[in-house]
Amino acid sequence: MDRRLALTLAFIVSTVTTLTGLGLAVLPAQADPVQRASDSSFTTTKTLTRTFVNDDGSTYEFPANTVTVEASQTKELRGRQRIQISWTGAQPSGGRASNPYGEKGLQQEYPVVILQCRGTDDTSLPLDQQVRPETCWTGSVAQRSQIARSDGEASWIHDAAADPSQKARISGMDPFPSDQCPTADAAELYTHLTPFVAASGKVYAACDSAHMPPEAAVGAAFPPAEIAAFTDESGAGSVQFEVRSDVENESLGCNDKTACSIVVIPINGISCDAPAIPASVSDSACRKGGQFAPGTSNFANQGVDQAVSPALWWSASNWANRLSIPITMGLPPDTCDVLDPRPPTGFYGSELMAQAGLQWSPAYCLDKKRFKFQLNQMSDAAGWNLMESGGGVAAFVSSAHKRTGSEPVGMAPTAVTGFAIGYNIDRPDNAGEYGDLKLTPRLVAKLLTQSYLGSDLGRGHPGMAANPLAMMNDPEFQQLNPGLSQTTQEAGAALLSLSNESDIVDQLTDWIAQDRKAMDFVDGKPDPWGMVVNPAYKKIKLPREEWPLLDTFVPQTSDTCKQNTATVYFTQLAAPVTALRKVSDALLDGWPNVQTKCEFDPTTNTFKQSRVDRQTYGSRFMLGVISLGDAARYGIKTAALQAKEGTFVTPNKGSLAAAVDLMQQEAPATGGKGGKGGNGSEASQSDPAARLAPTADPKPPTGAVLDALTRAYTLDQADVRRSKKAYPGTMVVYTAAKLRELEKADAAKVALFIRTATTEGQQEGAGNGELPAGFLPVRRTGATGKLYRTAQDVADAVEAQVPAPSEEPSPTEQASTPPVDTSTGVDTGSVTEVPSGDVPTDQPVEAVPTSAAPTVVAEPVAMPPTQAVSSELGNRAVPVLLVLGLLGMALTTAVRLFVRPRGPLS
Amino acid sequence: MTRRTRIRALLSLLVAAACLIAPVGFAAASTVGPATPALRTTYAQIEGTGSTWSELIVQQWIADVDANGMKVVYTGGGSSKGRKDFAQGSTDFAISEIPYQGTDEQGNADTSNGRQFAYLPIVAGGTAFTYQLKIGGQQVKNLRLSGETIAKIFTNQITNWNDPAIAADNNGRAFPSLPITPVVRSDGSGTTAQFTLWMDKSYPSIWRPFYGKSGLTSYYPRQGRAIGQAGSDQVMNTIAGFAGNGTIGYVEYSYPLNKDYPVVKVLNKAGYYVEPTQYNTAVALTKAQINQDPNSPLYLTQILDNVYTNADPRAYPISSYSYMIIPTGSTDPRMTTAKRQTLADFMYYSLCAGQTKAGPYGYSPLPLNLVQAGFDQIAKLKTADPAVDLTSRDVKSCNNPTFDGKNLSKNKLAQIAPQPAACDKTGAGPCGYDTGTNQPSTDGQQPTDGTSQAPAADGTSPPTDTAPVVDSTTGEVVQAAPVDPAAPAADTGTTTTDTTGTTATQPQAAAADFPVPTELAAARPADTKTFSWVAALLLVALVLMPGVMATKLRRRPVRRGQ
Repeated sequence: MDRRLALTLAFIVSTVTTLTGLGLAVLPAQADPVQRASDSSFTTTKTLTRTFVNDDGSTYEFPANTVTVEASQTKELRGRQRIQISWTGAQPSGGRASNPYGEKGLQQEYPVVILQCRGTDDTSLPLDQQVRPETCWTGSVAQRSQIARSDGEASWIHDAAADPSQKARISGMDPFPSDQCPTADAAELYTHLTPFVAASGKVYAACDSAHMPPEAAVGAAFPPAEIAAFTDESGAGSVQFEVRSDVENESLGCNDKTACSIVVIPINGISCDAPAIPASVSDSACRKGGQFAPGTSNFANQGVDQAVSPALWWSASNWANRLSIPITMGLPPDTCDVLDPRPPTGFYGSELMAQAGLQWSPAYCLDKKRFKFQLNQMSDAAGWNLMESGGGVAAFVSSAHKRTGSEPVGMAPTAVTGFAIGYNIDRPDNAGEYGDLKLTPRLVAKLLTQSYLGSDLGRGHPGMAANPLAMMNDPEFQQLNPGLSQTTQEAGAALLSLSNESDIVDQLTDWIAQDRKAMDFVDGKPDPWGMVVNPAYKKIKLPREEWPLLDTFVPQTSDTCKQNTATVYFTQLAAPVTALRKVSDALLDGWPNVQTKCEFDPTTNTFKQSRVDRQTYGSRFMLGVISLGDAARYGIKTAALQAKEGTFVTPNKGSLAAAVDLMQQEAPATGGKGGKGGNGSEASQSDPAARLAPTADPKPPTGAVLDALTRAYTLDQADVRRSKKAYPGTMVVYTAAKLRELEKADAAKVALFIRTATTEGQQEGAGNGELPAGFLPVRRTGATGKLYRTAQDVADAVEAQVPAPSEEPSPTEQASTPPVDTSTGVDTGSVTEVPSGDVPTDQPVEAVPTSAAPTVVAEPVAMPPTQAVSSELGNRAVPVLLVLGLLGMALTTAVRLFVRPRGPLS
Repeated sequence: MTRRTRIRALLSLLVAAACLIAPVGFAAASTVGPATPALRTTYAQIEGTGSTWSELIVQQWIADVDANGMKVVYTGGGSSKGRKDFAQGSTDFAISEIPYQGTDEQGNADTSNGRQFAYLPIVAGGTAFTYQLKIGGQQVKNLRLSGETIAKIFTNQITNWNDPAIAADNNGRAFPSLPITPVVRSDGSGTTAQFTLWMDKSYPSIWRPFYGKSGLTSYYPRQGRAIGQAGSDQVMNTIAGFAGNGTIGYVEYSYPLNKDYPVVKVLNKAGYYVEPTQYNTAVALTKAQINQDPNSPLYLTQILDNVYTNADPRAYPISSYSYMIIPTGSTDPRMTTAKRQTLADFMYYSLCAGQTKAGPYGYSPLPLNLVQAGFDQIAKLKTADPAVDLTSRDVKSCNNPTFDGKNLSKNKLAQIAPQPAACDKTGAGPCGYDTGTNQPSTDGQQPTDGTSQAPAADGTSPPTDTAPVVDSTTGEVVQAAPVDPAAPAADTGTTTTDTTGTTATQPQAAAADFPVPTELAAARPADTKTFSWVAALLLVALVLMPGVMATKLRRRPVRRGQ
């Protein structure tokens, strides 16, 4: 045990070193952040002081804070790109808000306000190109204006650094827009407006929500980016700041021609001028130093001392403390023309391709010699079926699926990427985000099998009453990820994942299936701490393409609301979704999809359950399955997954390449996914007649060379278990297209796509047609060389289109497996053309006389579709029993024969 | 003038003309073709909330137009939320199944709060009933129900799957005793509104006493066993969960399709049980009436009464459209030229090329009249702001699968829609096809003239009903007598009773004419045969083994003794 712990520790240390070395702590799947960051990172330092002028004219100066701010990237930014802003030396913050963004972050003390502003901090420039509070974006009025405040809330009027005009009872705009803002000018009350000047020059008075730019609507679907970030007790902190271009925020108007800045204002407290004698209420308000101790939280959203709050970031002494980071926006990529008359050519399938598809499509539509490429995301199986039925020219899949037609399907490796388990976990006591999550297959199995109780509601679940409530309470998790909060949250009992069929779920569960400890747990053996699997999932067959919701437990409770909405508790916890993008969004928003919020709705007079509230910053804990592309694009943290026992691998180029190294083309026998995981009966098949067709073409008429093109490379998780470098979530996405009976024009498009995607599409970058972060480029040489070569061969084969086989399967084959081959033999030509999948009336009738045995014909019809795979157990048990019976017979006979002659002999 | 000079003059004229025309031609050529960066349209991000009914396809469109430089954010949340957010001015558009109601069912205001707007139809689809019903561990995938039965199920009048009404809908096929658990939406939902509107119009005597008043509601009045869930995803999760046996709920067809889950075939006026495929929905909606009064506040909203009663054998009764609500005020505080342009081009894409993928995603493309009406609404964006560019964005340039440029008035999809299978008819079948696969259940017949032409000899020769055989022990229907009078070989399935006493069906080849009949046999013929062999072998072994053992044991001591 100790040795294992030591090994783990040693590994943690090495992982940490690697991580920091690569600068991956926050941008886990980023391809080469070091190099990119060094291109345009930016550092600036400033010393901040707060001074009070005493009534005798002397000054009191607080100890200075020397703040250093660093930005990870400042040049050629794209809209919604997240850049890391980190700082040291700031005043520690107190009273942390549950959400630091926008106006929700106002009730904090000594935070670091980060804003995006138009203009640069250069006094030599004309005023309209300089950064000013009026060009800084905020999403709400409360963040920029103080309207009709009493003198206890008007500390800015004593700002020692402010111009006298700014200290008046009403200030900020001259002339004051009393007609627009009648409520702002109220007798005895103080108002300061920080108007917003849009890129168009239009001035918004910012006295109420009606006088704000259109992008600043209350309750907008698009969350605010500006943040009042928290500094830990050592004075350091960091955030991912989302930059907006003029596409996202037209009024702010940052683009390749208009320079902008990220303005970082560490709130250090307002410097106050000489007080009146005796000191007025506002004088003392200005001199306040905060009610919250460093590191504390203010989730109740109580009032804070205004003089140290982020609300007055525009006040002269705060504004003077700003550190400006100039940024430049990249040229917007050339985009497709909506009037392009060419119909789009849809490729259907894997969501893993989402980020690549976005960057690739302009490279096709803008080239007249190419075509209008379009990625339609859906489950791998659905995409495959559409491709086979002719609904789509090609599919994006990550494994070869069960073939329903007779045409061979070429599998061209197109991209190397994969899935990740993304997470948001905050360290306790506002010590920042946790960035080093490690997960074993058993921990993931515990989440997927719903073996954590979630809350006291789950305690009544039979057969696992002693299990931990959530992952944070599980000793296994605590040992692996020490130092985290152990406060139970329902979201800690769930891994947000996909509800529908997916190759990702297949690979994730295969990773679990190859781990002895995880499978022991799933099979019912308690883990070393006594936790047992949820009986509903005991001995569940793994791997599987679709994760089922098997629990049936409805808790007994005294809660009126829950009584009225009685439903399966663990299903509400898991609440899987239909798209990976939804998981990414949930992680970005810190909003678990747990559906256990129960409330009375007075408008309808009913009780209802719905999604829980967003998690509060500082106590977030959430995990979800996401694509590596999304992880890199949105800067979502990704967990290190266990490869070899005790070795945890994060997704990065090296670990993806190591996994590709392990990949081998699957043997023909395992060519179909449909039979895997025991869910064959649920596999979506379009054609009842073809459903009875064999998984693999019995005798491909095309030879071994072509046969190789129809096979996928598989990552055997058993190999991963022996590797110290390979990332278990590595997946190859294939362009799957028919090698026969694809229209010539479509075939040419697919071949063109494969060739382009595997050459210029593998150039890393953010431009049109380039490969986004989160993908490992496929190269001619090296680990990915085999993929490249296969892709080129498949492209050739797709373009050439193999001629149809000259002859039907031979009669002997039909005889050997009568129920299957008869139907395919008859239907070879018709299956594809009849969309309904009906066997045409006349064909079976004709088949009767020609067929070898009439009973053989009757058989396939007699077997209704769902029964073909109705009982796999039966299918296997029958022959086994038969053999056993025969063995018994043989044995008895043998014994008799053996025993009898010996009698006389001896 | 000599002939030669005349030719020369003609030539010089031609040359001069060519010189004149050429530059113009080149100039024209250089402006056509893909947009150059200089000509690029300016877009700005637009945001919207609303319907989860149409969310799956809207999200795909959003991903598609990203390549055109348009940024659209759509976050679902339910139609009621969408209308409310739009009214409060916090979004640039909303998507809703129903128009603003004036006052909602609780008496609260449901208006746009003075914000000028227009309704724009975006996609059609069928509200599907997905369910989990297992018999002996086998999932039923071909359930069929009449509208009345559905209404009674969701108003808690039919509470058990063994109800005779359900058996009658399934041509006598009885289901085991299992309580029905309806799963309804707990949030304000357009799907609920569509469903309750249909019940209110078609079965007022069932719906109104349950609801306590007349009309539709966006908030389902959940009672009794019914479970409320927020969002279509959660409805689907609850039904597909292991605890979901006996549940039935309503969602857009794309959700069960995505999950590969069965849907109820609903009885239409023509007496056929049909699935909400893109074809059946398109056919049903040919009878949709659209409020054509441009002065009405409900301009372009749907009147579905005739859809519910569409007599075409292919029509799916609960078909409807989803709307986008767009701001048309020229002084709308949220709108700018760039945003209006984005909205216009996003809709242009959605109404045209975007409709091609409606079918694969479980929706149905909009027909011409609605696309045309949609363009009229888009034009209001230009009225509000003349800087919006709508050049070439019209029906003629539209890549929509329901019509072609040559004959704009025909709904292509409704014409090629396959006729339902004979076994889908009342009193026949039920068909053995799985539902929820996006494949039309049909015998392959298609009308040539567009008139409704029922397959199989309908009416004249009623199906030769052989009473379904019910297994006495399990209550399962083991034979559903698949008889199609039109089938060439009239000899129907032969019923054989084998040694194990299980009745099994072995239809002859002719039965393959129509979809395979009910499959819920207690055992397969192959199984019973092999198992009986095994049983026989084991019996033989059982009889012989003791004797052998005895012989062996008796002889041993003899050997030793020697």
